[in-house]
Amino acid sequence: MTAVVDSMPRAGFVRGRGAVIGFGAPLVLLLIVAILAPLLPLPDPNLQDLGASLLAPGSPGHALGTDQLGRDILSRLVYGARLSLLIGAIGMLLGAIIGTVLGLLAGYYRGIVDIIVSWLIDAQLAIPFVLLAIALITSNGRSLIVLLLVLALFSWAQYARVIRGETLALRSRPFVLALRAGGVPGYRILLRHLLPNQAGTVLVLATLQMGAVMLAESALSFLGLGVVSPDISWGAMLSEGKDQLVYAWWIAALPGLAILITVLLVNLLGDALRSVLDPRKRRY
Amino acid sequence: MTALLDIQGLTITAATSRGAVPLVRDVSMSLDPGEVLGIVGESGSGKTTTVRSIVGLLDPNVSVTSGSISVLGRTVSEPGREDYESIRGRHVGVIFQGTGSSLDPLMRVGKQIIEVLRRHRRQIPPAQAKQTMLETIGAMGFADPERVARSYPHELSGGMRQRVSIALAMVTRPELLIADECTSALDVTTQKSVIALLSSLVSENDMGMIFVTHDLMLAQELCDRICVMRRGQVVELGTTEQVMESPREDYTKALLEAIPSW
Repeated sequence: MTAVVDSMPRAGFVRGRGAVIGFGAPLVLLLIVAILAPLLPLPDPNLQDLGASLLAPGSPGHALGTDQLGRDILSRLVYGARLSLLIGAIGMLLGAIIGTVLGLLAGYYRGIVDIIVSWLIDAQLAIPFVLLAIALITSNGRSLIVLLLVLALFSWAQYARVIRGETLALRSRPFVLALRAGGVPGYRILLRHLLPNQAGTVLVLATLQMGAVMLAESALSFLGLGVVSPDISWGAMLSEGKDQLVYAWWIAALPGLAILITVLLVNLLGDALRSVLDPRKRRY
Repeated sequence: MTALLDIQGLTITAATSRGAVPLVRDVSMSLDPGEVLGIVGESGSGKTTTVRSIVGLLDPNVSVTSGSISVLGRTVSEPGREDYESIRGRHVGVIFQGTGSSLDPLMRVGKQIIEVLRRHRRQIPPAQAKQTMLETIGAMGFADPERVARSYPHELSGGMRQRVSIALAMVTRPELLIADECTSALDVTTQKSVIALLSSLVSENDMGMIFVTHDLMLAQELCDRICVMRRGQVVELGTTEQVMESPREDYTKALLEAIPSW
């Protein structure tokens, strides 16, 4: 009988510890490469060589070609990964923390807390993000900190809205009532029971938001509000390259591909992690 | 002797968009130690609302508008004043309806029981807490408490989960146990074993119990007195014999006649 069970198709291919390692390893590798960038045998990413501009991928000395100023694309991709990953991760984390905390509080305590948080969520979702970003960045000056805060502001409302709804549903479940009836205080129920029960939701939302944050960063860079030269991010490279798209596709396409692959891997990793962390889905 | 539970003139109202809707009206009942009181009634009769008000677990838009509740002579609720923290777990344990969701699905059941225990005995050393937890699980008729304690709720059957829920309510040795439809979702044989367990727990520990059910036959089996509720009011309250043999109210007669005979 075991043979029959073993040969049964798995529910989705992104399951189990193997999937976590399979999707996690390329991301870890990317992270290591990004951190070790200065030690790698790469040309200076900002070194201009107008004699070697717009070289196609595969050119000698420039494996992924050069841009219109003759800067090495491979080197720029590796250095760009540092800021892109940093911005994506920190922007996503800040939004996740703020949104999850507010969502939990609003859903559990309801009443006035819920009214205020829900009002903030509605206000946040009603204001066009780019407009808000322009206002905040131009009034506070362009810096990495301001950029990260703007990106956190961009993503927190999504978490808050989803977590609030799920907390509302969870708080009336008998197990929460049983813990309250047993005298377990609210903060402990929130931290030890309601938060873990929504970790899967937060994780999946976070992986989706990391992609959204990286894209938002590139949109801001495109408007000249995000990362600017000489700093490099994939989003900035993408927007710089779009003018040459017709005759030098690789300048925009390669950072776009890097964003695509990274966001995809993060999403798949999130899905795999969720199934491993949930004991109900654990395989024995 | 101080009554274990004394409810006087309890009225509970829900604030809705259409104004205040009374859920429970002028309910009075009391319970002595060692006594089992059954609260019987159809869905929506206010059984659950009444017992939840004893531990202050009403929904936020629902509140006690008049009357008082006292547990062991200590007033826990009267208009304008509430004090549930001092009795939750310590003096009153609650078992909720449903078998699937009365335990946190992501925590091993032993850990959940210890968590409630530690709320009330903060200085208890970990080894002793574990010992108490295992003893409580063992008292629920499990042959291998260690193994049950290590399990996640989904690894246990419905009847086992409900017995673990009873252990969760019993671990602090409360004087009053409230069983809110705790056998409704179980099959008949499992129901019987849970009822037998509750019955022996009450007599061994000299506890009082409120047993909420829609099943008059179960109430008859377990309870000393029965309180019949309908539309938020007590329509009949008396000893089990009185209520079952010579019901005074038409509604109770109708309920009795609705029991299939065989």
